[in-house]
Amino acid sequence: MEQWAFLSQIFQIFIAFCLFTTLYGKGNPLRSWAEYSYLAAGTAMSVMWAWTYIRNHAVIGLQAGELIWIPAIILGLMMWFRIYPKYSYISRIPIAFTIGIGMAWTIRTQIFTQFISQISATIVPLFDQGPMWLFERTVIAVGIITMMSFFLYTMEIKGPHLWSATFGEYFMYLAFGAVFAGTFMGRLGLFVGHMQSYMFPVWKQPYTIGIALLVFVVMLALERTGWGAKLSA
Amino acid sequence: MIGFVPYFIKVPQVNEFANTLTNISSVVGQFTIVIAIYSQYRRSLRFIRERRKGWVYNIYLLTFMSLMILIGFTWGEHNATYMWLVNSIVAPCSSVVYGILAFYMFSAGARAFRARSLKASLLIVAGVIVLLYQAPLTGSYIPGLSPYATFLTETVGMSLNRMFAIAIITGAIMLNVRMLTGRELAFLGFAREEES
Amino acid sequence: MGKEGVNLLKLMATYDKRWGYLLLFILVLLPMIKPIGMPISVSELTKEYYEQLQTLEEGDIVLDSWSTEYSGYMELKPGMIATHKYFIKNGIKIFICLGHPEGLALVGALLEDELKGYMEAYDYTYGEDYIILGFALPNQAATLAMATDFQGSVKVDWKGDSIKGTFLDRVETGADIDMIADFTTAAGNPGLINHIVLTFGTPMIQNQIGVSLPGSYMNLDAGLITGLLASTRGGSELELLIKEPGPGLIAMDAFTLGHYLLIILIVIGNIGFFGWTKKVSEEMESTTIR
Repeated sequence: MEQWAFLSQIFQIFIAFCLFTTLYGKGNPLRSWAEYSYLAAGTAMSVMWAWTYIRNHAVIGLQAGELIWIPAIILGLMMWFRIYPKYSYISRIPIAFTIGIGMAWTIRTQIFTQFISQISATIVPLFDQGPMWLFERTVIAVGIITMMSFFLYTMEIKGPHLWSATFGEYFMYLAFGAVFAGTFMGRLGLFVGHMQSYMFPVWKQPYTIGIALLVFVVMLALERTGWGAKLSA
Repeated sequence: MIGFVPYFIKVPQVNEFANTLTNISSVVGQFTIVIAIYSQYRRSLRFIRERRKGWVYNIYLLTFMSLMILIGFTWGEHNATYMWLVNSIVAPCSSVVYGILAFYMFSAGARAFRARSLKASLLIVAGVIVLLYQAPLTGSYIPGLSPYATFLTETVGMSLNRMFAIAIITGAIMLNVRMLTGRELAFLGFAREEES
Repeated sequence: MGKEGVNLLKLMATYDKRWGYLLLFILVLLPMIKPIGMPISVSELTKEYYEQLQTLEEGDIVLDSWSTEYSGYMELKPGMIATHKYFIKNGIKIFICLGHPEGLALVGALLEDELKGYMEAYDYTYGEDYIILGFALPNQAATLAMATDFQGSVKVDWKGDSIKGTFLDRVETGADIDMIADFTTAAGNPGLINHIVLTFGTPMIQNQIGVSLPGSYMNLDAGLITGLLASTRGGSELELLIKEPGPGLIAMDAFTLGHYLLIILIVIGNIGFFGWTKKVSEEMESTTIR
């Protein structure tokens, strides 16, 4: 079994670097193989998830005598009529049912967490906790209102609305800069964490570097000889 | 309505029924995977038939996918071979797909951040301040940077997100109301919307 | 300056981005081979998160929600390891609920690969100190059912064994949960927030990826979550606070160098833009007018 675990580690490093060759910008067979492998395995895994979910809820529920799962299975099977254009209208019923339930939960939960809580957190007493609090809260309130005014497209923007929209636009650019930096930090953290899993424990390091160099050299060789484009998808 | 009303009017039986309907809708949603698989097979078989570029990879795709589904169904999803394939292919590839975004963001920032105007300059200044603070070395040697970077992320950046959250949920509620009143039928495949 | 100076500016404006990719790769891998050991500071955000952890007492029950797929785990790993080490060290009972099917792979990755030795050292055993409920939070209905009638909705663990006779016998509703620890890639977990936090006032701490941080900041500001750990950086700061160095601190050298490289290239790009690109386009415009 240890042999399989070792092989798994090496294979993971190899397929990861094959996929990293995407950054080179030109097609090559290593990248195409990695992409199609991921697509195949990912799709197969999605099928198994779906089946496991249906089995754990509907099938086991039916076996336990919960007849409510019969309409669930019927509705699910009706969804498959989407494939046949002549009978695709049958699939509208399960679609409408699913969207209706989704709508109910959106209104039921998001309206409190994303709407009411956020508005009540914006409109707070300004003079409670000192000058810094006053400044921050004012910036938040003014920022949100002016940014929203920038997105009002159904009326002519002039006068005080123009000032508000202009301020909101500049505020947004400031915010986008900060958000970009945060997003970059997140993605870099993900990449660094990923590379750490291939560099630690320390025994992995020569394999990782060796495989990276091998993939890079093979990719360059294929590109220079013209076979890279011919053999890629 | 059955899902929405029990939150406000406490009738345990209706609430329970609403929960059951939610579980049913989750199960119904899982059946759509078959449509995705059918589409994939159809597309790949067409590529193979027409001998389009990379048709060999489509043969590989269909074979490997079918094999893995067969292994999963025959021996279960906790089977060693199935788990080996998942851990060796899906796990690293999904990490790479998101990790590659770091490079794209990196090149986007390096190439697009040009101080062409006051707005662009504000973007760059805010970005650089936060980037400097986020680098742990600068954060520890220049502690004076912390209040400015924290202000930009936790006040200015947060305001932006809050504005988007309020605006998006308002739009979502409007769309839901239009769907409930029958004014929005595109999701059901009707080409023309009902005019208000 | 002449031709040489102009070429340098042209290079700054028009360099191939792939060299930037290669540089980033090298700057991330090099500190892992030869660690530099740069110092890091601890932010107020992480200190607040740690203070929230310190409100827990031995025997308290925490809902440990893993709503992340494998790629998100790469980013959240330092924070997850540090937080769970705190739970293990202080005898806090946790029940792990997965919000994403890929979470099943994380159980092995975190509990067996990273924390096994630590759990053995502190005699942290399955059934007595921690229970894995599996993919128990697939949707909001499941969260609501768990919050309102825990014993009725949760009967078995992820392998199908009964949870009767464990510490979970104490949990009847969401009010009996002392804290929620959410490790997520989504911008907030509306189910947990709405059905447990808002209904029962249960405090919730969150370890969030960088992309979704702005969304979590607004939840923190609104009081919906009481502690927030920001991505890999937050995880490394928590490792420093709990004095348990781990993958987060190792990653910080690469983190620093990656950030500096981006800043340097932004500066270089702007020098190239003002020194070359702008001049060229102005020259072309003036030629066209003539």
